[in-house]
Amino acid sequence: MVVRAKNPVHPVPSSIPVFRNTSGSPILLGPDLPAMISPVVHTGAIAVLSLPVVMMLNIQIAEIHEKVSRYPPVSGIIGLIPWWEMSLIPDNDHIPLLPTSISTNSLRYTVHAGEIQGWTNSETSGNSLHTYYSVRFLVSSLILSVAMIGATVLTMHRTTRVKRQDVFRQNAIDSKRTMMRRTTDPHLPTPGSAPTIYRPQ
Amino acid sequence: MLEFAPICIYPVISSLVSLILLGVPFLFTSNGSTYPEKLSAHECGSDPFGDARSRFDIRFHPVSILPITPDLEVTSFSPWAVSLNKIDLFGSRSMMVFLLISTIGSIHEWKKGALDRE
Repeated sequence: MVVRAKNPVHPVPSSIPVFRNTSGSPILLGPDLPAMISPVVHTGAIAVLSLPVVMMLNIQIAEIHEKVSRYPPVSGIIGLIPWWEMSLIPDNDHIPLLPTSISTNSLRYTVHAGEIQGWTNSETSGNSLHTYYSVRFLVSSLILSVAMIGATVLTMHRTTRVKRQDVFRQNAIDSKRTMMRRTTDPHLPTPGSAPTIYRPQ
Repeated sequence: MLEFAPICIYPVISSLVSLILLGVPFLFTSNGSTYPEKLSAHECGSDPFGDARSRFDIRFHPVSILPITPDLEVTSFSPWAVSLNKIDLFGSRSMMVFLLISTIGSIHEWKKGALDRE
């Protein structure tokens, strides 16, 4: 559904089950912290960010009924590349394909320290991330702040018809300088002239 | 990995609730009382002028973007918070520098007016 939908808004919510499935595989294999972070990052950041972008495309209803049959040649060739890559993986040394290759003299590595006090994945990653790799961690904070600044710069534009208020300028208005005093009585009509207004010096 | 087993309850319950809420109204509809005239768009009697959908205004895009960076900051807080007894002072200081750098980005947002009401 993500790849084949005609309405461009459909792939974004359809990618949510895809991200859920991709986060399920690290859970089963061990590293649970990336498995928990990846839906936060993928769904909560990537899909949420790309949804307004996709909604800003100006899609008319008539464009949805365009011919789909011109896509398969090129995209089919590109789509065969991951299939070829998947065939490189089953190798009997790496992933045993047949059950006969599970031999009894293959070593299983057991960490016995983990049976006394098990460290969770977030503890271990926090342990090394903030000490040995702290400079790389700070690089990630730079990336986040650049993302904030870039998002502000790209989406803020003052050419909209929105009136803004500047609170400091409003507070700095001095009433003595802006109010005008009349020296003639406005209720008495002077013939032929409007009441004159004198400003204090 | 058995400690993650209770998570499996949530997809089951959420999909059950969604499917029930979606499907039960279909039991109560009557397909015979709708006709194309009733289902078409209403524009005070005349034919519709154009598509009812307008483009998504870019002023609403920061509403979705701006919570994302604090969300990722909070996500990177979680390994730090769990391992604080092992990363004695150096680790908490590295996190404070992380927060400082993110605060600089937030101050830029604030001053540019991205956080205002409109």
